[in-house]
Amino acid sequence: MLPRVAMAITLLALSAPAAPQQPAAPENTAMAAGTGQPRSPRNANYRILARLDPSARTITGEEVISWRNISNRATTTLQFHLYYNAWRDTHSTWMREEALATGESHGAIEPEDAGSIDIAEMHVTQTGNESNLSSRLRFMAPDDGNARDRTVVEAPLEAPVQPGETVDIRIRWTSHVPRPFARTGAIGNFFFIAQWFPKIGVLQDDGWNCHQFHASTEFFADFGTYDVQLDVPKGWMVGATGREMARTEAAPDRTTHRYIQEDVHDFAWTTSPDYMERRARFEHASLPAVEMRLLLQPEHAGQEARLFASTRAALRYYGEWFGAYPYRQITIVDPAWQSGAEGMEYPTLFTAGTRWLEPAGTRDLEDVTVHEAGHQFWYGIVASNEFEHAWLDEGLNTFSTARVLEQAFYPAYYSRRYFGGFFPLVFKDLPLTRDVDGNRMPSYRQFAESDAQSTPSWRYWPGSGGFITYDKTALWLGTLEHMLGWETLRRILSTYYERFAFKHPRPDDFFRIANEVSGQDLTWFFDQVHRSSNTFDYAIELETPDEDASTVVVRRLGEGVFPVDVRVRLEGGQERRWRWDGRDRWTAFELAGHARPLSAEVDPEHVLLLDVNRTNNSVSARPAARAAANKWSLAWLIWLQDHLLTYGFFV
Amino acid sequence: MTATTAFREGMRRTNGAPVLLAGMCILTLLLALPLALALRAMLEAHLGSSLVAEQVASRADYQWWQEFLFQAAGLGTTFVPSIIGFGAVLRNLDALLDNREMATTIAGVTTGWLLIWSFLSGGVIDRLARSRRTRAHHFFAAAGVHFWRFLRLGIVALLVYSFLFGWVHPWLFDDLFGRLTGDLTVERTALLIRLAGYVIFGAVLIFFNVVFDYARFRIVVEDRRSAIGAIAASWGFFRRHFARVIALYLLNGAAFAVLAAAYGLLSPGAPGAGVTMWIVLLLGQAYIVGRHYLKLVFYASQTSLLQSALAHADYTAAPAIEWPDSPAAESIANANPIGP
Repeated sequence: MLPRVAMAITLLALSAPAAPQQPAAPENTAMAAGTGQPRSPRNANYRILARLDPSARTITGEEVISWRNISNRATTTLQFHLYYNAWRDTHSTWMREEALATGESHGAIEPEDAGSIDIAEMHVTQTGNESNLSSRLRFMAPDDGNARDRTVVEAPLEAPVQPGETVDIRIRWTSHVPRPFARTGAIGNFFFIAQWFPKIGVLQDDGWNCHQFHASTEFFADFGTYDVQLDVPKGWMVGATGREMARTEAAPDRTTHRYIQEDVHDFAWTTSPDYMERRARFEHASLPAVEMRLLLQPEHAGQEARLFASTRAALRYYGEWFGAYPYRQITIVDPAWQSGAEGMEYPTLFTAGTRWLEPAGTRDLEDVTVHEAGHQFWYGIVASNEFEHAWLDEGLNTFSTARVLEQAFYPAYYSRRYFGGFFPLVFKDLPLTRDVDGNRMPSYRQFAESDAQSTPSWRYWPGSGGFITYDKTALWLGTLEHMLGWETLRRILSTYYERFAFKHPRPDDFFRIANEVSGQDLTWFFDQVHRSSNTFDYAIELETPDEDASTVVVRRLGEGVFPVDVRVRLEGGQERRWRWDGRDRWTAFELAGHARPLSAEVDPEHVLLLDVNRTNNSVSARPAARAAANKWSLAWLIWLQDHLLTYGFFV
Repeated sequence: MTATTAFREGMRRTNGAPVLLAGMCILTLLLALPLALALRAMLEAHLGSSLVAEQVASRADYQWWQEFLFQAAGLGTTFVPSIIGFGAVLRNLDALLDNREMATTIAGVTTGWLLIWSFLSGGVIDRLARSRRTRAHHFFAAAGVHFWRFLRLGIVALLVYSFLFGWVHPWLFDDLFGRLTGDLTVERTALLIRLAGYVIFGAVLIFFNVVFDYARFRIVVEDRRSAIGAIAASWGFFRRHFARVIALYLLNGAAFAVLAAAYGLLSPGAPGAGVTMWIVLLLGQAYIVGRHYLKLVFYASQTSLLQSALAHADYTAAPAIEWPDSPAAESIANANPIGP
């Protein structure tokens, strides 16, 4: 363990305004172009010195948070997240919600597998006076009153922090790294360390926004500069948020890696002796170059091209559509098998996810990589509150991911794994396109009514919140794209990106921009898709009582209301169309005097991606259901015969 | 007789019993067909008069498939994308090896198939052991005579297989595999452990499978009545001819692997429309016929190995069963004696 004195000296050195190890070259993000101002408010700046003991799975750390009150109110307390305490025992809110989501209560957490974070000391320097708050710390549960939850701690101050005032908070703490929960933790020699340090909440004009850790939501924090020194065993490779600025031998068997990054709101890192390092560069005619660093598992050697290609695709298309990636580097972490760390985003660093057998034609690797790289934009840069409005980053990003995959990687194919999940088989007959798979209707459909999207995300039913957050948003953004056209939607998203980069936007900010850029009042649309849990289901029937007259009946089976087109195709190649506001439960259109109808469709262009039943959107005068059913039941018959013969093994 | 000779002899005997092969294929088809018709009705009802049916009729429509599965219950839930082409083979092997639960209707028809096959296997083994044509009444007489013996044997087998799949399998693949791989971070190593698990479990499974198989053959060939006695005799045979028995088993297993691989290579996957649809479906049925053929070869080759190792070379199935005339026929014969 690093002596406390040495740590204090190092922290003191880090606190010095002109420390010799400060980055020589400014980051792209350091100053907003042409303004001379930092891109972000930089009101929560961290200097951290942490030492990892892999065998004990502990992190001993000291940090100094320079925190400036950027709200318009004074505060008499400070609030901090202690995320690792979510896995201290099974009584935390996170564990209780996880049990609700899975329907199974987690057995007792073994001490060596538990996560915890214990503050040993907390001092606050305010207007030159230092006060020791260690004895005043109290756990609180602002969301559910769970007295056994220790993921938020409050520190009463001796004097209020006024708007614009800065305080320095020095904290000494110890974290026990859990066996992976929520994509952080350690297994074997693989450590992926996120949400690992005491982290200050966000003070807003209406008070502290410092939620407990919930099973189905993520994080929210202010922007700042992170200057972090990580003391790990010698020979262990480290990847972290930011750029490595220095590497020193802390002891014969220890190395300290110093990472610095401005204008980010979190810091995650990973270390392992097993990583292979690969580097590549993203270059583009109109976007800044980005150094890509990949930390690869040896058993995934050979997949680096796919990982880099996916990251490049995200940087390119997000950059072209929404705005440039502003940092100079990005770190791709390929997590170890069973680490549970796959598919997670942190500023300038993310985890991908692949398998030893990952044949070409599947899209899992590309999907997760593009998605997490895309989070650099929707989460990392446009930093909405993931506790309350998770759809603003996850939903926008799911939609964007599907668009990138469509541009760069589709068609991919349905695949399934066999024999313990190790052996994949790709079904080349089942192409997965954006419409079929990327918009995520199959998963949304199951939980479509579970919550209104406008409910704070942490209050979603834990078992289905993700579907409302990710899938429903992707579907309604796809619907908007069909309604307004891609160019208009792209401008909405790029305007949102431009205005709220390095800020904390709220849903109304997005809706306001959508109205402004589209030139339409889309409130009715957001009322339907965002502020309610209604589902959409339009159906059509064709009544032909006699030769000369037909009636098309269109029904609204769901509670959701959406204006729809109705198209009837007639013999002789003619076509008739109507527009229906979709409000009533049904409407009818007469076809007297026209040629005989061949087919009728409601929403024939599939504008309304949220329609949960597409089969009933059309009707044919010459149904092909029997032919289809014959074919597929005969195909299924082969499966059943093979099944009987396989189980015939026993006789 | 070597394992290879026995395998060839098994093929020869099966080739000489085309009616048997056709009968087994028809039996499987007849058992499966009602469920296929039930599924067909579900699919047709769901598609109704929708235009979507046109796409579904011409290709695999994943979007519709998901929609169907969302509202499906019972049998309908087994209509999943992985039934397409070679996926069906892997899905079934995976279900067996990984001990997956079956839908109730599928479990029902599987149980029915196993019972009917148990009934018929007396006649099948008898036919293959004689290596000559037998009449239908002889076939069913043999099936009837051996059925109750097979049923008793089946109860013992059921207890053993229940123990293997109810206790050994979860212990091996959940508990032990979980413990051995719980802290592993390298998937390849875990895969090797999994494969080792399959080898161990497969060896135990094959051992009992062989013992029960040869017990069946001994019941038929030697007209044994005691299931326990047949198991003991089978075990004795297995011990004495261990290498040949295992070699023959593996040879049969290899034949199945070749058939499955050929289907995997040739299977065009999802049926399209028109002629290509029929080609795909016929290829699937050809594969199913192939499986039935190999099942009979499996029986015939093992039976011939057993027969070749018994006391004399011509040892064959129990004497043909001669049924006495019915009491009514006897009465008539006694009342009207014919001639001196």
